[in-house]
Order: sequence, then C-alpha cells, then structure tokens
Amino acid sequence: MKKVSISFTLNGNSVTAEVPETWTLLKTLREYFELTGAKEGCGVGECGACTVIMDGQAINSCLCPIPEVEGRSVDTIEGLAGEDGTLHPLQDAFLKNNGVQCGYCTSGMIMSSKALLDQKPDPTEEEIRTAIAGNFCRCTGYVQIVESVEMAAKELK
Amino acid sequence: MIDYDYLRPDNLEEALRLLKEYGPKAAIIAGGTDVMVKIRNTRKAPEVLVSIRGLNDLRYIDKAGDYRIGALTTHRMLEESDLVKTELSALYDGASKVGSVQVRNVATIGGNICNAAPSADTAGPLLVLDAVVFMEGPDGKRSVPITEFFTGTYRTVLKREEVLTEIRIPGEMEEFGSAYWKHSRRKAMNLPILGIAVSVKMDDQIISDVRIGLTVAAPTPVRAYKAEDFLKGRPLSDEALSEAGRIAASTECCSLRDSLRGEAWYRAEIIETYVPRMARLAAERISKRRSK
Amino acid sequence: MPDNLFVGKSIPRTIEADKVTGKAVYIDDLKRPGMLYGKILYSSHAHARIKSIDTSRAERLEGVRAVLTGRDIPDVRVGFLKDQTVLKRDVVRQYRDEVAAVAAIDPDIAAEAVRLIKVEYEQLPAVFDPYEAMKEGVPLVHEVDARGRPLKSNILPLPWKFKAGDIDQAREDSAFISKDRVSTTWVNQCCMGTSGCIAEFDQNNNLTLYDQTNVIFGHIGRITEYFEQIGLRGKKIRVVNPVVGGSFGTKLDTDIYEFIAIQLALKTRKPVKILFDREEEFFALPPRQPTVFTIEQGCDREGRLLFRHCEAVLDNGAYTSWGATTPSVMIMPMSSLYRVPNVYFKATCVYTNNIYAQAMRGYGNPQATFAVETSMDSLAEAAGIDPAEFRLINRNRPGDHTPMNLKITSCGLEECITAVKEKLDWDEKREEGRGVGMASLIHVAGGARVTKSDGHGIMIKLDEYGHVDVIESGTDQGQGSPTVISQIVAEALGVRPEDIFLTFGDTALALWDAGTHASRHTFMAGNAAIGACAKAKRQILEMAVEQIPKIIKRDFKRKKRKDPGFVEPDLDFTLIANPEDLDIRDRMIFPKKDPDHPYFKIPLTQVLRNGLHVGIGQSKVVVAEEFYDPPTEMLNWEMKGNLSMTYAFGTSGVEVEVDKETGEVKILKLVSAHDVGKAMNPTLLLGQIYGAAYTGVGYGLTEEIKVRNGRVMNPNFRDYQMLTAMDVVPIEPVIVEPMDEDGPFGAKGVGEPGLVPTAPAIANAVYNAIGVRITDLPITPEKVLKALKEKG
Repeated sequence: MKKVSISFTLNGNSVTAEVPETWTLLKTLREYFELTGAKEGCGVGECGACTVIMDGQAINSCLCPIPEVEGRSVDTIEGLAGEDGTLHPLQDAFLKNNGVQCGYCTSGMIMSSKALLDQKPDPTEEEIRTAIAGNFCRCTGYVQIVESVEMAAKELK
Repeated sequence: MIDYDYLRPDNLEEALRLLKEYGPKAAIIAGGTDVMVKIRNTRKAPEVLVSIRGLNDLRYIDKAGDYRIGALTTHRMLEESDLVKTELSALYDGASKVGSVQVRNVATIGGNICNAAPSADTAGPLLVLDAVVFMEGPDGKRSVPITEFFTGTYRTVLKREEVLTEIRIPGEMEEFGSAYWKHSRRKAMNLPILGIAVSVKMDDQIISDVRIGLTVAAPTPVRAYKAEDFLKGRPLSDEALSEAGRIAASTECCSLRDSLRGEAWYRAEIIETYVPRMARLAAERISKRRSK
Repeated sequence: MPDNLFVGKSIPRTIEADKVTGKAVYIDDLKRPGMLYGKILYSSHAHARIKSIDTSRAERLEGVRAVLTGRDIPDVRVGFLKDQTVLKRDVVRQYRDEVAAVAAIDPDIAAEAVRLIKVEYEQLPAVFDPYEAMKEGVPLVHEVDARGRPLKSNILPLPWKFKAGDIDQAREDSAFISKDRVSTTWVNQCCMGTSGCIAEFDQNNNLTLYDQTNVIFGHIGRITEYFEQIGLRGKKIRVVNPVVGGSFGTKLDTDIYEFIAIQLALKTRKPVKILFDREEEFFALPPRQPTVFTIEQGCDREGRLLFRHCEAVLDNGAYTSWGATTPSVMIMPMSSLYRVPNVYFKATCVYTNNIYAQAMRGYGNPQATFAVETSMDSLAEAAGIDPAEFRLINRNRPGDHTPMNLKITSCGLEECITAVKEKLDWDEKREEGRGVGMASLIHVAGGARVTKSDGHGIMIKLDEYGHVDVIESGTDQGQGSPTVISQIVAEALGVRPEDIFLTFGDTALALWDAGTHASRHTFMAGNAAIGACAKAKRQILEMAVEQIPKIIKRDFKRKKRKDPGFVEPDLDFTLIANPEDLDIRDRMIFPKKDPDHPYFKIPLTQVLRNGLHVGIGQSKVVVAEEFYDPPTEMLNWEMKGNLSMTYAFGTSGVEVEVDKETGEVKILKLVSAHDVGKAMNPTLLLGQIYGAAYTGVGYGLTEEIKVRNGRVMNPNFRDYQMLTAMDVVPIEPVIVEPMDEDGPFGAKGVGEPGLVPTAPAIANAVYNAIGVRITDLPITPEKVLKALKEKG
C-alpha cells in the first residue's frame, strides 16, 4: 500500500507523518502519533467522538483522508492543556460541572465546544447545543455538558 | 483490501485532465462525508480518488444579478451567510439541518446534490429556488435546470468526466419567500423522513407564483407541479393551502413508499401538513423582508 | 457530631482529569506487545444449516495468523442456559450467530479475511413472533436442550411465576377494574465505547482478560467453567478493566466475542483484541429485553388497589442471556410498586430466530413499570379519581412489607409525587393538545441479592506520606464512583479526597464483588469503605497512642538542645492514652477532649512515618479490608425475599404538547423527583438523574432497534434514534433525602431509577393531552397520529 508523507501543524508543532495514503486523520493521530484522545465511536461521522479542530473548524477526523491534512493546522484534545499541565477552562469546567461521565465522548465534545468558543466567545444555549449536536453522549443527557461550556465561556472572558 | 490513489489537483483544468486520464477508475471526492462513508461501509473503493477540495475558486456565495454558489461551498458557509439566510431562506433551512457542525464544515453543496440521495437536504430548497446546475467537462461547460439534474436514486446527468462547478439561482427569486421543513424523529443528525420546500411570490394576499419541492417522496427530489398550478392565483387561505397539500401528497405529485424511516401514509400526512405550514412561513418571510 | 467536610459536597471530578485530556486509556487505546486483531464472521441467515465453510482464501491473505470455525475448537456449550456454542458448527439460529473468526496483524486485514470466508447455507424455516413461536407445529429454534434431550416447544424452561393473596376474590371485590395490553421493544444500550477485550495467555496458560465490563468477577466463574471443558482446568483468570466507556447493563454476561478472543489467543499464542465496530455493537450486542404484558388491576370505591394480575411474554431470541432473567426484577414493581395485596405475575420466555437480549439500565423494571403505570392511569380513570391522587392513595410507606416480602425502610414516595404535582401545576387547566402525566418507581437501592453473595470488598492502604490507596472490587464505568468513594474515604478516615488513589476493576488485586450493577455501587462500596476506614483508623490511632508521646518527647529534646532555657510544659498524657481518646480529621490527629491541643494535635503523616520507621524491629503499616455482604435474602422458590437493604422511590412527571397534525410529542417539562436517601455529591447525583431521564425519554419517544425477519435494520446512529443535544428536554430534578439508616452516610442507589418511570409518564401525559393511549413503546408520531385518526 502506497505511503505518503504529510506535513502539517499538530497542536502547534510542525510534524510529518509517513502513513498509507488510505489512512484517515483519525487513524494517523491514533496509530502514528499515538494520540488516542480522539476515538472511533462509529467511523462514519455519526457520533463525533473523533472530533478535532482543523484550521479552526471542528471536523470528524474519521472522515478526513490524511492527504487533505497537508499544510493544515490540527488541534486535538492532547494539545489543550498548558505545557505545565494547567487545564484549559473547558477541561476544568467539564470536571467541575460533571460534564464528563464515562469520558468516551469527552475529547470530541470538548473539541467541538472549543471550536465554538473560539468563534463565538459568548454563545447562547441554542448555539452550544447546535455545536455539540454531532457529539453523542449516553451518560449525561447533555445538561451538564451544556452547563460546562457555559461555565468555561464565562471563565474565558 | 481498501486501496486507492488519492490525487489532489489544485485547479479545475488539472482535475478535468485527471478525470479524463483515469476514466472509469476514478471518482471525485469533495468534502468526503459521503464518499468516505461509502468506502468504509462497502469496503470497496475506486482505484483513484480525485479530490477537488483544493479547488478553492469553487468556494463562494455571491449575488451579481443572479445568486451564484460555488460547488465546493460548504453547508456551514451557506448556514453562516446572511445573504442565504435572508434571501434564500429555504436553502438556509436545508443546509443548516444537514448532519452536524462537523459534517457541515466539510460537506459541500455540490457533493450533496451529486450524491443524489432522495433525501438530500439542499435538493428541495434548490428545486423551489429554480436553481441551475453548471458543469464543466472535456467538452466544455453546460448547464441544466435542477429539475432535470436528477435522473434516479443516486443518479444524475453529470458525466463521469465532468465536475459540477456552480449552482446558480435566478435573481428574480429574490421576490420569493422560501422555507424548507425537514421532518425527522429527532432534531439533529438525521436523514429526513420527508422534506418539504416551498417558495412563494405574493401579490398582497394572493399567491402569484409558487414552487413546491419534495424529497424522499419519489426516487428523486421532485416538484409538486400540480399542487403549484392549483395554488397559483389563489389567496393564502387555509382551504387553498390544505387542498394544495392534498394534491402534493397524491400520486399526481409523488410516489410515496414505506421504508425503514417512515410509512407512506405518514409521509402523505406530513406533506399535507407541511405544504401549508411552509407556504405560510415562506409568505411570512417575504413579507417581513419587504417591510424592511 | 461535626459537619461532614466532604460527603454531601459537590466535589469536582478532578480525580478523572485524564478523561478531559485524552489520556484515559480505553480498550480502544490499549495495546499489548505482539497483539493481533480478531474479527468475527456472522451468519447470513436467521435460521440455516451450515453446509460448508471455505476458509482457504482467508488463510492465504498476508497478515492472517489464524482462522477458526466451529470445527476447529471444542464444541462446548456456553451461556445462561447453555443453549449455544462459541462458533456454530452445524446450525445458525439468528443473524448474529458467530460462524468463523480471524486473527490478523491489523484490523483491516482481519476484516478483509472475514470477507474472504465463504459459507454455504441451507435455509431453514424461521419464526420471529413469540406468540407464533408458542403455537404447535411451528419451526423449533432448538431441536434439543443443553443435555441433548429433544425439545417439543419454543417455550423456555424458565417458569417465572409470582403469586400472593387471592386474585379471584379480589377481582370480585373490586369496584373498578382496568385491563391493558402494553408492549416494549428492543433498545440498545448505546455505550459510546463499543464492546471489546484483549485475551492474553502467559506461558503457563493463565489468562489475563482486559475487558470492558462492569462485572469483573462474573467472568471468572463462567470462563473457569469453559476452561474445564477445553483442557485448561485450574488455570488462573485475571480480569482487568481499562477505562470503561459506558456500561448501562451491557456486560453482565460473558459474551461470545470474549470466548472467541480467548480461542484466538490460545491458537496464536499472542494477545488478541476484539473490538466491536458500531454496526456490531448494534446487531451483535444483546439489547434490552422486549416484552408484551397483559395487565389487569382492580380497586375498591375509595381507590385502594385490590389486585394486580399480569402476564408477560418475552421474545427470548435464539439464545438465552440475562434478558430471560428480567422477570425476576419485573416481579418487584409488579408486586411492590404501590400497595397492592393480591398479585399474580407470570412471564413466559419464548425462543425465536430474533436477536437475544440482556440487561440494560433498570433490568426489566422499565418494561414492567410501563405496564403498571399505564394500568394505574387506566384504573384511576375507571374509578374517576385524579391519577396523582390515585397514586397517593396507594403509595408505599415507610415500614411496609410488600407481597414480595420487601421490607420498605425509608420511603420518600409521597414527597416525590407531591413535588411532581406542584412543579407541573398538575391541576391547572391546559391549552388544547397539552397534558400532564406521571409515573413512579420502586427499585433496589441497597444491593440486590441476585447471586448468593451480594458482597463488595474494599482494601485500604496508607503510605507514610498520607497517600491512601483504595483497592475497589467494583468497576468505574463513568458513574462518578472515584469521586464519591474518595469523598467517603476522606470523610471516614480523616483525610482529604485528593489524598485518595483508587484502583478499580482488577480481579487480581481486589476482593470479590457481585458487580457494578443494580444501582448498588455507592451503597455497597460506601458501606465497605466505611468499614475498612474504621479498621484502618483504629490501626492509625493505635499507632498514634504509641508514637505521639515519642514524637513530643523527641521534639522537646531538640528544643532543649537549641535552647537550654526551654522548659518542658506539663502535659496530660491521659488525653491520648487510648485509641478511643483520639480522632482524625482533615489529615490531623487530635485528642477528642481537646481537639486543638497545641502538642497533641499532630499531622497524620508524622505518625505514619514514625510508625513505619521505628528502627527496632517493630515497624507497622496501615492496611485494612472490609468485605461487606448485607443481611438480605435471596428470592425463595415463591420469588419472595427481601433482596435489598433498602429501596429507591421516585416519580417522573411530564408535561407534553402534542401536534395533532403530525403526531409529534414535545416535552415541555420533565420533573424527575427521586428519593436518594442522601445526596453524596449533588452535582454528580444530578448527572445520574439527567442521564437516566434522557435515556428514558429516548425509550419513550424515539428509540427502537428495528428487527425485520430477524435482522437488525438500523445498526447505526443515523437510523437508531438516540437523542442529540438538540433534542432539548427541560428537566427539573427534585431531590428527596429521607436519610436511609442502612446507607453510607444515609445514601441509597440512584443509577437506574431516573430511567424507569420516564416513558410511562410520557405515555400518560400524551393520553391526558389528546385522549389516546399509546401502549406500545416507543410513542412515535406515526402511532400517535394513527391512534388519533382511529379515535376520529
């Protein structure tokens, strides 16, 4: 299987991946870079557990062919906390407000929320719910996730 | 094993050249939200994927006489465009209901109609906005009205060596108000049980012109011409709208089926209910815009 | 008694910070050296004879390490009734039957290899409707039973029957009677993390199973039994949890894929991982048990329930897992939700060629409560009594002994019903198309003795720096236990939650546990933790009695060296003469009689260090364990017995608006009132209630696995209608805290209750709104509209 060499910015660092051309961004993150925060909850863009931010926009990394990442900038859950381990306000809020239970959806949920807050620092509840509509969660009923995003938005201001 | 070459031309000429070169071995991929899913589910892929995602010239929404939308315009761009929201409201309704934000960030309007699912959420709106589809291929450019674009379920007039480049909506449509209803069991991440798009042009309380588009009502997205004919020249009354709904739901306008997502009788009910509701919403929207 | 420092407070889930940073390692993320990937080939028919299997092309594929069919492994029967084998040799009885399996170096290669296996089938007649399957002359799903004796019928030999009182007399005495037929369908647990495991053998054939499960010890018995039949008698089995991506009842049984992973690992001598993709999770994971009920109730003129008579038919599918045991839980609401003296309940499980079922959050209770609460509304109407009032008349009360011999201790049902009435403005006149409904529940909330031991063990170990290791026998599937148990331990031991380090889900380290199911974890682990902490604390205080005087004397000596003028204070050492004289709070040891004593109040760590580093052959460590098995009863042959220490009560109230043109039901408000004993961590508690209620709304309105002729037609999130964040349900929680005398700090279990009454409350609200009763879940717009049209 043909391999390709793809260079891009990953969590602020310049990287190059040498992977089969047919790999997705998700597979590359998980297998090549061993960043396993993004999950394959369905593999077909229906659950959102694989959500990462590419050039400022939340995307399903399971549907993104790796060649499309050339020259792009990708942010994953692993790049969110400070280098000293300080949590991003979203991460902090999810812990404080019970926005996380089993945690499987959490990486994607936080990345969708981050893409929203980067664009709209002061979102309405409706905008938050729209932003995470593609991120399924079975544990929480979404209530405390929405509250966590609201809490983080306040903190970020 | 799934194996393919992934080619990324950065202009249309190059894309057309590759499509010609590889012929039946090649398929176009844009946002990838349909193609990648299909490859995964069937575990089959074409030998060559020609990605047109790098054709940034095909990503635009503007109005210069006509409304022009580049084929690679994402659903998210449509959703966030004030122009679309106010003047092509049905298209806003449709685009903003596709999948999730993640999907809308990459999925393109060109891809949505080229995939030609009977349930495509932009198809109904484009039908009632008189859209014209522009394509380019080795033999040059051509265009067809959207009503002639779909030839069957997952089938269109687009030839293997062609790229859909633009969707154009006549400038006159600015005098229409429009709305689209995606009927589904939950509020997001769904395919419609039924889609109803309506555009109307009002002359005071009289419907001077109207388009009704239905999705999941036939093998392709369809216009409910008979219902339109009935409505033209009538007042925006409950009686007229209900009758139009009944006509639209009848075999004169569509061929409803039972499927996993919904039964034919229920689909008919939804058409009967939502043709009037969307017509009213469309009329309300245009009157609001006029009064501004 | 001073106030609690931690219990009852909304301590954040800081202990789970790995889950918000992508660091948490789920089964998806876990790799072992040399690991292979397993993949299963399933049947292409609902019922067929396997004529031949050709694996040659799969075997030739590069990267494939093993291909197994039923002919390659011992034909050993497994499962609850031993009615299936791991890989099916001769006959497939459902679409999800496992026919062959592959191990390869890469998951894609494994998937490709499975595609290359060619199976020839001869189709057999199949039966898909349980009522049809009970008739004579229909195709038999199984020709013989586990012992090879011929079977004459598709009805399972599981006679679920409960009787109390005299139904016939009560029926005669009743002034009003109602009769309903209600039914529920399959729904998927929808764990966001799909099922998976890694099976790994050491050189001596001892097995380590890394597994997504909430019943780690349950595997051991079942796999041991399997091992005995495949020549591995006496081998050790260790089950280890990675971080568990949700459970909701899915992992009570040992599933077939786990046995397959074991067989592939045995064959290849390598660790083998099987991880379900989402499609498999939807069709090859047993979902919630579907059930049809015929329920009849009667009451007297005053509205007092006199009897409840109910017969249930369960579509068992082709094999038997825990779904077939859900009637044992159904008996609880049938006999004990509201006061009802005369009860008859019978459940019949029937084999069909459909998928088979297992447990899901609530375990039979949501189905049975849907029946009971539908009937409660019908009967209230027949008797001309307001449904809320009718429930209040018949409510359970503290001190009740129910016909099932459940001993009700604390019971906040009255408060729950009243709160729902109030929050919904129950008596208000509503607009056309709007209505309210309610439903209540009873559930086990202090353990559930479904196996002979209902125990839970905890081990506690302190190091000399004050770190507290807590080895939990349970599992953490996201319910918040790491935080809640650390609150309990911190409170009981006198340290802080951040001092606590928990290890969940490792059978080699932990004592035994019946499983993190039945809403039992906080209650059981909490009580075990309190017991273990008392023992550890005793050890610390004994150490303190020895060490504090020494510490003080050494300190005085040091001071004298530095300052020859230092005068030793005259201390009353009787204040700390016995362990009983001392206590620990917030990391400090102090005399009870003088808590702020300037010399005797000493950091816990100082005592621990001095106790360990004694230097004269007497060093000590602090370690304690508690195995808590509550004094409850197994159900006897009559299905009676007090199987839990306490019971949860609650009421869901719903206001809906129904679109009469489309049949759509919109929830305007959902009040979820729950008697929780005591809220250990209010924020986390709300998470349980919200999550469960949401799943209940899905159960009520949108979710169904569509099975057509045995095949799952919607095995994906696109067509399986689990609710999204856009499907807003305005939930108002009400917490009732009667303080349970047996619960840890007064708490009761709350994991499942929020789900149980939600769907029937919605159904009752729909009836109140538009006068049609939907008795078949989910309440889809199609059903509502059809019913409205029939009503005219």
